Amino acid sequence: MNALVTVDHLRVEFATDSGPVVGVEDVSFAINPGETVCVVGESGSGKSVTSLSLMRLVEFGGGTIAGGTLTFVRPDGSVLDVAGASPAVMQDVRGNEIGMIFQEPMTSLNPVFTIERQLTDGLMLHRGLSKDAARARALEMLRQVRIPEPERRLKQYPHELSGGMRQRVVIAMAMACEPRLLIADEPTTALDVTIQAEILALINRLKREKGMAVLFITHDMAVVAQMADRVVVMYHGKIVETGTVEDIFENPKEEYTRALLAAVPKLGEMKGKAAPEKMRLIGDEAARAAVAASAPMQRRSEVLLEVKHLTTRFPVKGGILRRTVAQVHAVEDVSFTLNVGETLALVGESGCGKSSCGRSILRLIEPTSGEVWIGGRDIGALNRQDLRRARRDMQMVFQDPFASLNPYRRLKDQVAEPIQNFGLARGQELRDRVAEIFDRVRLPREFMSRFPHELSGGQRQRAAIARALAVNPKLIVADEAVSALDVSVQAQVLNLMMELQADLGLSYLFISHDMAVVERVAHHVGVMYLGRIVEIGPRPSVLDNPRHPYTQQLLSAVPIADPRKRKFKDDLSFKPITSPIFPLGHVAAPSTYTEVGPGHLVLNG
Amino acid sequence: MTYVLNRLLSVILTLFLITLVTFAITNILPGDVAMMIMGTQSNPEALAGLRETLGLNDPMLVQYGRWVGGMLTGEWGDSLIFKKPIAELLSQKIVASSIIVVMSMAIALGAAVPLGVWAAVHRDKWQDSVSSTTALLGVSLPDFFWGIVMILVFAKWLGWFPSSGFVDPSENFLLAVQHAFLPSLALGLGLMAHLTRMTRSTMTGILGQEFIRVARAKGLSEGTVVWSYGLRNAIGPVITIAGLQIGYLFGSIIVMESLFNYTGMGWLTYQALLNRDMPLIQATVFVIAAVVMLTNLLVDLLYLAIDPRIRLG
Repeated sequence: MNALVTVDHLRVEFATDSGPVVGVEDVSFAINPGETVCVVGESGSGKSVTSLSLMRLVEFGGGTIAGGTLTFVRPDGSVLDVAGASPAVMQDVRGNEIGMIFQEPMTSLNPVFTIERQLTDGLMLHRGLSKDAARARALEMLRQVRIPEPERRLKQYPHELSGGMRQRVVIAMAMACEPRLLIADEPTTALDVTIQAEILALINRLKREKGMAVLFITHDMAVVAQMADRVVVMYHGKIVETGTVEDIFENPKEEYTRALLAAVPKLGEMKGKAAPEKMRLIGDEAARAAVAASAPMQRRSEVLLEVKHLTTRFPVKGGILRRTVAQVHAVEDVSFTLNVGETLALVGESGCGKSSCGRSILRLIEPTSGEVWIGGRDIGALNRQDLRRARRDMQMVFQDPFASLNPYRRLKDQVAEPIQNFGLARGQELRDRVAEIFDRVRLPREFMSRFPHELSGGQRQRAAIARALAVNPKLIVADEAVSALDVSVQAQVLNLMMELQADLGLSYLFISHDMAVVERVAHHVGVMYLGRIVEIGPRPSVLDNPRHPYTQQLLSAVPIADPRKRKFKDDLSFKPITSPIFPLGHVAAPSTYTEVGPGHLVLNG
Repeated sequence: MTYVLNRLLSVILTLFLITLVTFAITNILPGDVAMMIMGTQSNPEALAGLRETLGLNDPMLVQYGRWVGGMLTGEWGDSLIFKKPIAELLSQKIVASSIIVVMSMAIALGAAVPLGVWAAVHRDKWQDSVSSTTALLGVSLPDFFWGIVMILVFAKWLGWFPSSGFVDPSENFLLAVQHAFLPSLALGLGLMAHLTRMTRSTMTGILGQEFIRVARAKGLSEGTVVWSYGLRNAIGPVITIAGLQIGYLFGSIIVMESLFNYTGMGWLTYQALLNRDMPLIQATVFVIAAVVMLTNLLVDLLYLAIDPRIRLG
C-alpha cells in the first residue's frame, strides 16, 4: 500500500530575536489511506507543529519548514511536495483534500457569522457550488454528525450552541469537502468526558464510512489507546518511538514511552484496594524508592469538615431594570463530611456545581443557605474579621497556577505573604519558614527569588501549593489542581499532595473531572450533577459499584488506556445535561438518599 | 429588543440630566440676561422691568420648566447677539458642522482601519513601526498646528483648496465640500492615532484566535481571512471609540472653525461664549450633547448589527 502522507526528516524552525529555535527536527512517519495515526506527547513535544506543517499553517505562527520533505498524494494520484507548493496550491488543498479540527470548540467558530455561512464558504470555494447547493450539502453534513434540528442550526450563531454541538459543527466543516486526510489536533481535550466519547465515536464512524485517514494529535494516552492504529510518540521536538498501538502499549521499547505510560492512571486499576496509592513514576529513582517505602496513610475518624444542606444560587438578570428573573441553582442541598487526613473527591462534568461548591465552603462566594462547619466552627456565622482569621485553616489551590500567581512578585514573597497576613512570623523566622516550605514541595531553594514565568507548569503548581501550605491549613480545596499539567508532572504533583497529606494530616476537597485520577487519590467520592450530589460514599464502593444512572454513564464514557478495551466504535449519544436555571420561586425538592452500602448513598428520585 | 429599549431610556435620562446641568450652570454664572441685553450702565428700574417681562424673577423650577418646554416645542427664543431666532441659527450651523464632523471621521477611519490592519498583519515588522509612527505623528501635534500646515501647503502653495470660508451645501455642494476639506483633514489626523492603535490591538487579538486558523485551514484566501473573518470581529471596539470621539470633535471644531473662518457650530459656540449670549449657549450645549448622544446610540445599534452575541442581553 502506498502511503497517503509521508513526513521525512522534517525540521521546523521558529524565528526569534535570539536566532532560530528548532520546533521539531528529524521527524519521519507515514500515514496510509484509511489509517489512524496518533501523535502523542506532552506540551512542547512538537506534535502540533508537526500537524500544522502538513497544512503549511505553521508559517502563520512564525515557523518555517527548514528541512526535510512532506508529501501528500492528491486525489488525481499526483504527489504534492507540501513544503515547496505555492500558496495558491496550498489554499486549494486546505479544507478540500485535508481537513482539520482544533482543540477549542468554543473559539473555533467565528462568533459573528452564522453556522450556515461558515459551513458553506468552503464548499462554494472548493466545489464551486451555488449558494443553494452548498446549503443543501451543509444540511446533509449536519445530519451526518448527528446534530438535532439541523435546519434551525444553520440560522444560528456559534454562541447559541453548546460546546459538544460546536465541535460537531467544526467536524462537519472539516468533512464537508470529503477530505482524504483529517487532522484532529486535541479535538476532545476541552470537552467533558461524555461529549468526548461521542466525538471520538463520531470520528471513528466517519473514518470507517468514508475510508479517510486520520492524523490524531493528543496528550492523552487513554484516547490514543482508544483511537490509534499506529502511534508516534514525540518528546522535545523529536520522535521517541513509533509502532502499532498494541506494540506501544504492551511492549514499549523506549524509557520515555514506558515512563509516559506508567504515569497514566487507568480507571479500574484500583479495584480491590482500600486506600489511595501514589502514582508510579519511572526514571526517578528517588521517587520510586519513596513510593515503595511510604507506609499506608494513617487515617483518624475525626471529622474536620461538615457541610449541611449547602445551597448556592446565582441570580440571572434580565429586563430593562436588570431585575433577577431566574436563578441558577449552582449548588442544591449538598451535605457531606470530610475526616481529618482524608480526601473527598467531587467529580462531575462542567457546570455541575463542583467548583461553586468548593468556593461556597470557603465563602469565596456566599452560599444562599446551609451550614459549613470546619473544626467545630460554623463558617457561615463568622463576621468578616473572624472569617479572615478562619481562612488560615482553609486554603485553595486553583487549576491554572500561572493565573493564580502574581506575575510581578518573586515566589518567596508570594509564599511569605499569607504568613505575614496572619502575623505568624517575621524576619529570619519568616525566611526560614519560607525556605522550609520550598523544601517541602521539593522546589530548589534557588527558585525562591524567581518569578512565576521562569518556572514550568508543574513547578508553578508546586509554588501555588507552597503558598497554600504556608499558614499550616487543615483543609485544602484543590479545584482541578492537576488538570492543566502533563501526565508525568501531574503524577509528581499528585504524589506530593499525598505525601503532604500523610505527613501533615491535611484534608483535601479534591475537585476534578478526571475519574482515573480520582480513583487513585480519593478516600471518598461524591458525584455531582445539576448542583446535587447524586451519589457519595467510599471510593471503592462508588467507583466499582456505581448505582446512580448518571455515575454509570460518566464511568462508561471514560476512555481506558488499553487498546484491547475499545469502547467508542459506534455512535454514542448520552443524555444531555439539562439546565440548572429555574424560575424565581421554584421550590427545589430536598435531597434525600438511600444507603446502598456502608456509607454509600444514592440520591432518590 | 430589551437592549435597544435600555439604551433609549438611558439616552433620555442623560438628556434630562444635561438640561439640568446646562440650565444650572448658566444661572449660577454672574450677570443675567436682562443685564446683558441692556448693558451694565442701564437704569435699575428699566432693568427690573425687563427682568419681570423675561420672567427672571420666577422661581427656578418655573424658569427651568419654561425653558425645557420651549426646547421641546421648538420655541428656542432669540439670540441676543445675532438678534435672530436660535432655532433657525442652529439648524444652519449644525448642517455646516456636520459636514466637517462626518468628513473628518471618514478620513480618520478610512486611514486608520487599513493602517491598523496592516500593522496587525505584519506585527513587529517594519510595517508595524511605520503605522504606529504615522499615527503618533498625527496625535502628538495639536490639530490647530495641522490646520496651519494645511493652509500653508494645500491653500497657499498648491492652491488646491480654499483657505477659509463656508459655502452652503444647498447652493453648491462641491464647493461646500472643498471648503470643509482642509479643516476636516486637520481634525482627522488627530483622530486617526487612537483609531489606528485600537484597530491594531483588536485585530492582533482576533488574528491570534483559533477561528482564524480554522478559516485558513478551510483554504480561504488571506484576503477573506483578514478582511472578512478578522475585521468583522475587530471593528466593534473601533467604532465605539469613533463614536466617543464625536464628542471630542465638537470641542475641537471650536478652534478649527475659527481658524478656517468656517461659520458652523464651533464658530457659533465661540461667539456665544465670547458675548455671554446665555440663551444661545444653553441651546448650543444642549444640541451638541443631543447630537453626541444620538451618534453614540447609533454606534451601539451598529454594534448590535455587527455582533450577534449582544442581541441576547
